Amino acid sequence: MNKGNSKREILTPRERFGLLVIDEKPDRCNIIPLVTSHAAYVAKMPLKRYYTHGKSMAQAQIAALEEYQYDALGFFSEVGIIAEAMGSEFEYPDDDLPVIKTPVLTKQRLANINIPDPRHDKRLPIYLEAIEYAYATIGDKVPILAYVPAPFTTGMMLSDPNKFLIQTIKQPGTIFEILEISLKVTIEFCYHIINAGGLPIIVDPLASSSVISPRAYKTFALPYEQKLIDFLHRYDLDIILHICGETEPILDLLPDTGADLISLDKVDISLALDRLSNKMRIVGNFSTSAIAFSSPNEIRKKVREMVKKGMLSSKGYIASTGCEVPIRTPIENVKAFINATKEVAWY
Amino acid sequence: MELIGYTCPYIPVEILSATGFRPYCLLHGDYDLMQHGTQYARIDACPLVRANIAYVIENKSNFAALVGTTGCDMSRRMFDILGEHTRIPCYLMHQPRTYNQKIHDDEIDYLIDSLSHLSKRNIMDALTHEIDKWEATRNVFRKYDRARHGEPSTVSSSDFQKAATHYYKGELDTIPDIAKKLSNKPRVYLVGSEVSYESREFLELLEVDLRIVGDFVCGISTFLNISIAERTLSGIKNAYHNQPPCIYRRPNKAFYEHIVKQIAERKCIGVIAFTLDYCDAYEFELKKMENTFGLPLLRIRNDYSSQKTSQLKTRIAAFGEMLCS
Amino acid sequence: MGKYMYRDPEPKKITLDEWSMQFRNIDNKTIKKFIYYNNHDWGIYLQPPATFMLYGARELKRLRLDNSLAALRMWGFVFNESERLFRARQSCKKVIATMGDLGTISIIVMAFPNCVPFYPECIWWTPFFNESTVLLDMASELGAPEAACFSRAALAAFFKKAYFPKADYIFASTGATCDDYSCIMQSIEHLGYDFMWLEVPLRRSPARHDTMNSYVTTKNGSRYPRRFEEYLIHDYIRVWEKMVELTGIDDMDLLTASITKANRVRNLVEKIKRATNQATIAPFPALELMTIEFGNLYGYADMDEWIRILEMIHDTIESRVQEKKGVMTEDAIPIAWVNPTADPYLLNYVEDLGLRVVETEYVINQAIVGIDEQMEPFRALAQSFMQASLIGSTAQRISSINKAMRKGRIEGILITNMLGGSHCAMETKLMERLLKDKPVLAIDVPAPFGITEQIKTRLQAFAEVLHEQRK
Repeated sequence: MNKGNSKREILTPRERFGLLVIDEKPDRCNIIPLVTSHAAYVAKMPLKRYYTHGKSMAQAQIAALEEYQYDALGFFSEVGIIAEAMGSEFEYPDDDLPVIKTPVLTKQRLANINIPDPRHDKRLPIYLEAIEYAYATIGDKVPILAYVPAPFTTGMMLSDPNKFLIQTIKQPGTIFEILEISLKVTIEFCYHIINAGGLPIIVDPLASSSVISPRAYKTFALPYEQKLIDFLHRYDLDIILHICGETEPILDLLPDTGADLISLDKVDISLALDRLSNKMRIVGNFSTSAIAFSSPNEIRKKVREMVKKGMLSSKGYIASTGCEVPIRTPIENVKAFINATKEVAWY
Repeated sequence: MELIGYTCPYIPVEILSATGFRPYCLLHGDYDLMQHGTQYARIDACPLVRANIAYVIENKSNFAALVGTTGCDMSRRMFDILGEHTRIPCYLMHQPRTYNQKIHDDEIDYLIDSLSHLSKRNIMDALTHEIDKWEATRNVFRKYDRARHGEPSTVSSSDFQKAATHYYKGELDTIPDIAKKLSNKPRVYLVGSEVSYESREFLELLEVDLRIVGDFVCGISTFLNISIAERTLSGIKNAYHNQPPCIYRRPNKAFYEHIVKQIAERKCIGVIAFTLDYCDAYEFELKKMENTFGLPLLRIRNDYSSQKTSQLKTRIAAFGEMLCS
Repeated sequence: MGKYMYRDPEPKKITLDEWSMQFRNIDNKTIKKFIYYNNHDWGIYLQPPATFMLYGARELKRLRLDNSLAALRMWGFVFNESERLFRARQSCKKVIATMGDLGTISIIVMAFPNCVPFYPECIWWTPFFNESTVLLDMASELGAPEAACFSRAALAAFFKKAYFPKADYIFASTGATCDDYSCIMQSIEHLGYDFMWLEVPLRRSPARHDTMNSYVTTKNGSRYPRRFEEYLIHDYIRVWEKMVELTGIDDMDLLTASITKANRVRNLVEKIKRATNQATIAPFPALELMTIEFGNLYGYADMDEWIRILEMIHDTIESRVQEKKGVMTEDAIPIAWVNPTADPYLLNYVEDLGLRVVETEYVINQAIVGIDEQMEPFRALAQSFMQASLIGSTAQRISSINKAMRKGRIEGILITNMLGGSHCAMETKLMERLLKDKPVLAIDVPAPFGITEQIKTRLQAFAEVLHEQRK
């Protein structure tokens, strides 16, 4: 496990991650780019197979890990996975990720909505199968992460998004009802993810300031992130909250979620460090367009700068991308990211 | 003459000999004995220990007593087994792993007390004579050792070992002369687990392409590390405790210092590390040895059997060639 | 409901999934009640097995654990130990590695405020709980042979520095005990750690000519030369002086108090064992009981909290015994178990075959016996240590099992070994001979993942023999 780096790696990713979450400095900072569906590209696997077949999803993730040598597996396809299990209809293109077709609340009342069983309904069991397979195969050496949409993001995927946003102003009661049921389902899903061997990572992209106002975030998204994280904290798990998009307007609210690590996207890392690093561990935040479209040399230069700053975080830092690595990102670009990080990431 | 079997170079042969019994070091490594020994200890017990258990049980009527130490756990537990299967009086000394001479000295007092009762002799009266006798014998072997590590080497370790067998078996009157055998082959140092009485062939095999000019191996020349300056009990205690330490001493820094010095003095250009199967003491240290001695190191692992001899020949020859180049 | 505001269900061993389900019934108040080092931020340790499984303890997916709150608390505490040691360092406690003596030097260390002893050799269970050869592979890279005790995982752990913090100091005991660990400790010292080596003396019975005055007789009838106590005391004083140097504190009353605390633990465990072994139905599983015994060594790095856990376990067991409830059927066959098993799964499996562990010899007798509080403390420690399992003869070691056998309390003996373990290789056949009045099975515990059908078949055959014997 030593490609492109002259220092010898003594720790496994699991050992390294384990030290981070107990406030210890490992040998170097963890490197966990959001390699999700990009894994299918690395494994030369049709996307549809990736997100509809658990074992294949796991195999693709393992192939990507072996290619890139980073520090965790991350399971994710798209943010609608829970909404789909609750009744929203999705289309499955052959060569792209699922796309929402009919949100369930456009054809059904909330009271009649399906409370899914994660072991049986729609693609939730695929996730669980993928986690179990990866855990059995490589879980002694590598942490297995599972990205789970937060109640607010799921809520919006149950509804027509415009209607949902209007309801946050005109019918907040209805929104809370939707969020409550989303929370219940998400908790149940997390429960099974944990039993499968995965560490839930909460993703709430539709709660970013790119989509909603800070007030709406504070009223609707944050409390349900909090409740979900409270549930996960019963297990004494260190929880990563990932909000991609703009988050500068809500930076000061993020510690209130209770998340132990905050995964950031479009925010100046120096600002994030200044405001958050004594309260939360920082994850991020290399630009996804940069990783997809820049040259390896440019990537290396920017990554080094980013990581050097990130490692100043007093509570700890994980070098990552701001959001998912785009599916068709050139492999040498991701390698440039990893290798450049490893050059400067040693404590 | 009845024998008094013993296991460890920390046991003063002078005291054993003063009982009137013949000191007999338990150094058997015969394959059949090892197999027989598996009735009493598992297959993953040290081959030397298994062979010696079998030897003592098969020849129990020859032994007046057995003396062992805690220097090695398997060797020490051999006495539990022998106590169960024979009526031979067994005396187990605590051989300190740390540098605590008081323990060592007290245990020698215990040994003298115990063996005096057993032999009904006053061991102290015979000590001076025994010191002279054994020291004189060691001096003979020191002469051979000087020839062994001379430039050129004129005594082989295989011949040395053959003669030393008489020392270990207490046959001081029948120690043969060692013929000169000059060799300019690559000079190597042998370190590791004990060699047995039956190891001559193995040593000869090593010396086809090499010349072993020094060793730290029980069964060859480690007894030469005993040099009793003062012909008293105190002299015995000091000499035996302060000999270059066994690898089991903790910490074993002094062991390495001694070997490094010997390697330099004897102008060795290679090292052979020989480990018996399941000999933790040396197996754990092989990496450290490679890093410490700074010379090419050949690792040989064996259970005294003649299996894999041809493979061994090839490896030794290759090692020799490497040293020559 | 009891003082813990939670009612245990009917006793049984349950799976990880079942524990996750049951954990949902435990409220947050109860979870937050149990903390170590009095720290409410990171000191909470009551978690379901799923938490530790998620962080790598993969064998928890197939183990079955007791379903009491007491057991959950115990497991959470035990699995949390690695974090606890790092937190100890973070809260400016001194973390002292005590190696090789298994239960005595830790008492001296614990006498000093803010000093936490731990036994790195206990990491030998980690490869098995993790179903992983990571530590063993690293140990091999560092030079440890494969045919050696699994405690070689400690060598890898010291190298990686990811399982416990760098120790402030290391006390290593070697001598008339297992050679594997002596070699492992020496290899650790080669990594550059600062060590104090201590001598473990032999427990040697007197020869016929010896006068009895020069020997000490222990409670279980073993004898040893009195001067061996002096050797131990000499080393204990060295340990004390080193601890004084590290802490600046020199108060012998603290040692007395530490011994009292150690005895509290030992007495509680003795009560637990007695209650368990005498009950008609096994009230608590063997895996938990083995874990309880090993807590005697150092309380898993927080002796005060460990005592509270033991009290809770004791209450649970007492209540089950009174109600005649337990985790096995009444017709389970009592056996003795010699040598702790590195693979916890074997304890589950043996119980599944209807065998109940009622007598154990887990190489830690020195941590089980009481320490005389009327005696000068160092001498008292020396005398308790001189009853150590491995420092005497094999016959002495199994005397309690022999006694149990003669009293008809056990119907078979299981010996678990490791290939290449020095005392395992030499003791097993002798034990089989000395215990020949009952069926004896000796098996080698293989490396992680290694429990083969062959081993299971042998255990099944052993169980069948014992069941047949009863008819």
